[in-house]
Amino acid sequence: MGYIELNVLNDETTTIAMGIDLGTTNSLAALWQDGRPVVIRPDGKHGKIPSVVRFPANGDLPLVGSRAREQAIVDPRHTIFSIKRLMGRGLADVQDDLAAFPFPVTENERGLLQIDVHGKLVTPQEVSSLILMRVHDLACRAMSGHEVIKAVITVPAYFDEPQRQATRDAARLAGIEVLRIINEPTAASLAYGLDQKGEGTVVVYDLGGGTFDVSVLNIEEGVFRVLATAGDTHLGGDDLDRALVAMIAEDLAEQLGADELADPAFLQAARLAAEKCKMELSASPRADLHLMVPDRQISYRRTILREELEVAIAPLVDRTLDACRRALSDAGLETDAIDEVVMVGGSTRIPSVQQRVEQFFGRKPHTELNPDEVVAIGAAIQAHILTGGSRDILLMDVIPLSLGLETMGGAVDKVIARNSTIPCHSTEGFTTHVDNQTGIDFNIVQGERELASDCRSLGKFKLTGIPPMPAGMPKIAVRFHVDADGMLAVTAKEESSGSTAMIEVQPMHGLTDDEVETMLQASFANAQADFDARRVVDLKAELETMQRATEKHLESAREHLDPESVADLEEALAHTTRAMQFEDPREIQRVRDSFEQATLPLAALLMDSVAKSALAGKKLEDV
Amino acid sequence: MSNCPACHAELETPLACGACSALIDGAGSLDPFAIFGLVRGWTIDQQDLSQRLRRFGRLMHPDYYAAAGDAARELAEDNTAALNEAHELLSDDFRRADWLVRALGGPGESDERQMPQAFLMEVLEWNETLDDARNAAGGGPERTELEGLGQTLDTERAATMERIGAGLTPLPDDGSTALTALRRELNAIRYLDRARRELESLRLDDATAR
Repeated sequence: MGYIELNVLNDETTTIAMGIDLGTTNSLAALWQDGRPVVIRPDGKHGKIPSVVRFPANGDLPLVGSRAREQAIVDPRHTIFSIKRLMGRGLADVQDDLAAFPFPVTENERGLLQIDVHGKLVTPQEVSSLILMRVHDLACRAMSGHEVIKAVITVPAYFDEPQRQATRDAARLAGIEVLRIINEPTAASLAYGLDQKGEGTVVVYDLGGGTFDVSVLNIEEGVFRVLATAGDTHLGGDDLDRALVAMIAEDLAEQLGADELADPAFLQAARLAAEKCKMELSASPRADLHLMVPDRQISYRRTILREELEVAIAPLVDRTLDACRRALSDAGLETDAIDEVVMVGGSTRIPSVQQRVEQFFGRKPHTELNPDEVVAIGAAIQAHILTGGSRDILLMDVIPLSLGLETMGGAVDKVIARNSTIPCHSTEGFTTHVDNQTGIDFNIVQGERELASDCRSLGKFKLTGIPPMPAGMPKIAVRFHVDADGMLAVTAKEESSGSTAMIEVQPMHGLTDDEVETMLQASFANAQADFDARRVVDLKAELETMQRATEKHLESAREHLDPESVADLEEALAHTTRAMQFEDPREIQRVRDSFEQATLPLAALLMDSVAKSALAGKKLEDV
Repeated sequence: MSNCPACHAELETPLACGACSALIDGAGSLDPFAIFGLVRGWTIDQQDLSQRLRRFGRLMHPDYYAAAGDAARELAEDNTAALNEAHELLSDDFRRADWLVRALGGPGESDERQMPQAFLMEVLEWNETLDDARNAAGGGPERTELEGLGQTLDTERAATMERIGAGLTPLPDDGSTALTALRRELNAIRYLDRARRELESLRLDDATAR
């Protein structure tokens, strides 16, 4: 007899939480199972789900993943990819992306980006939520019978506040409870630490599809402490592809006009051809760059040597090494103090990237872990910790960019310095500048530049209700608190009057609570139907398991049970069989709950006999 | 050291109990040395400090209270934030000295703006080299000259910090006049750190340009 079956009968609902790597190119989920992190592989050999969403013209439900990706070339205008690069950004931040995207992106009056699909405006948060839903759905199926609704979601370490908030909102739209937002390189270090049992000072070099991060960590006694992080949220595989697309465009410049070179079908085909060629060059010294756009009578073929790609991407690799220098400098370390370098992200498969990193740090980087999977694995480990699974491991992460307030002169008064360990808080004192001033405006900024206008404004707020006093008399304390997710909350308080203001930061490039609410309601009808359907499948699977377990044990236990309990159980079993025809999850849930009630005497008896036989030295299998 | 209000075991840190894992409220009124269970003073064993950070972090980190109620989770957040803040202060020699001078009733940097006299002449000279470097991106002073300046600043900082350390060992009496001299030395450190940061960012820009 197995332990799991007893568990089912006792209904000791184990909280299962998953780790999700919401990537620019691919997304991936992992779960903690049987004492270790396991990648969910819905397609068999790999678990990667392309982060691509296609919105069909006929109003059908959006397609997500491989099928959407396959159709990218047929329907470039409505097939959205690399949405992560738009999360929490404004139009001015993403000019280079817009030129490469075959779909149109606009900005609303609050700086929120929107993509026009068949006349409907969709935000990056909504597109990301569709990807999250798909990943979540596949994970739930893999764990049939369990409702996995909690998740640790990873973001690039260098994501700023609006980008993190956008990710949180996407999860909220997807109906996923976010246990924690953690940084990708930190997650990777957990997976590395668990796998290699390595301790010491470790650098994680994470070059993904759209973002680059480098983190310097100290791993000691199971504590993973980030010393410094640096990066670029606009530097990744996408940019490497664009270097190749630029080569194609140059070759075809005479043959095609500017219009044709900016045509969605051409851009999409060129991007996919470049990506394919780039990946082949990681395995062989030369590869074909082959591009066909039948509709446009374009057929292009060229052999690219690995050295050509190296030259084309060298400036991008230089930028990653600049970030490595910054991170080391912030950690106060030289390269010779680094014990290990861990490579993460699909783009680190490129041989020249590996060589340059090896040269820079003077040691061979670790490439034995699957660079596509380590982040999701690390997120699953953290999910396990957060659901009470382990106190052996502790993550101490940092905030990547300084937080501050704009001063009178337009400069920045830093309140929390970059690379401060989170959670953290700090309080800054302010006062009034004119007599009888009753309010002060604050502008919260994030960034390293000296002038507030060069930093990202996270929001403005006004503290009102200051009692009239001569200038300089009021004592205003502004408190910044950054929580373990890296999210900022600001409160202001005038100390003589005690008047406080909890700041409702109006997010730039983000969704307001109302907007999230409206979107949730709009998608509620659809979502409820999807959700119900899934719930029915899950409940039925659970019922079947319970039914099998009960039938198996009822025969042997029958004589030891009182007749009333046996009758209850038999009735419950009959109900269960009928419930298999039901379609309303609430009805099935009711059957399940009363079934569970009916199994309690049986479960108690089994527990008892297990205990007795164990004492009598009998094998569990004999019970 | 006090005892745990829940199980009365002796506490290593006043923020959480190592014996019964209770989280203890009251981080707001504690000084950074008390949070780390250390006696107030200049000398800190950094390795011991790191060990304490890891040990105490394990007792109160919000990661272990994700499933707990709101009150416990908030307390875990607040206590860990206080622990992190105290660690950042204690592990930084300038911030530690600055805190001690204030705690002993000495002047803050807005009360005493002077720097040691001998220091001022050198500052003028260093500023000139830095200005040249700033204004002539790439083709400014020879790199060796900048490296030389970097070394000079490092040496100067170490010597100044040593004098500060000596002045704080043992801790001077509350309100002692020696605190004014220490504040002046700290002002020198402030200047040196700003110059070193600028030099570092020039060095990083230089590496980028190459």
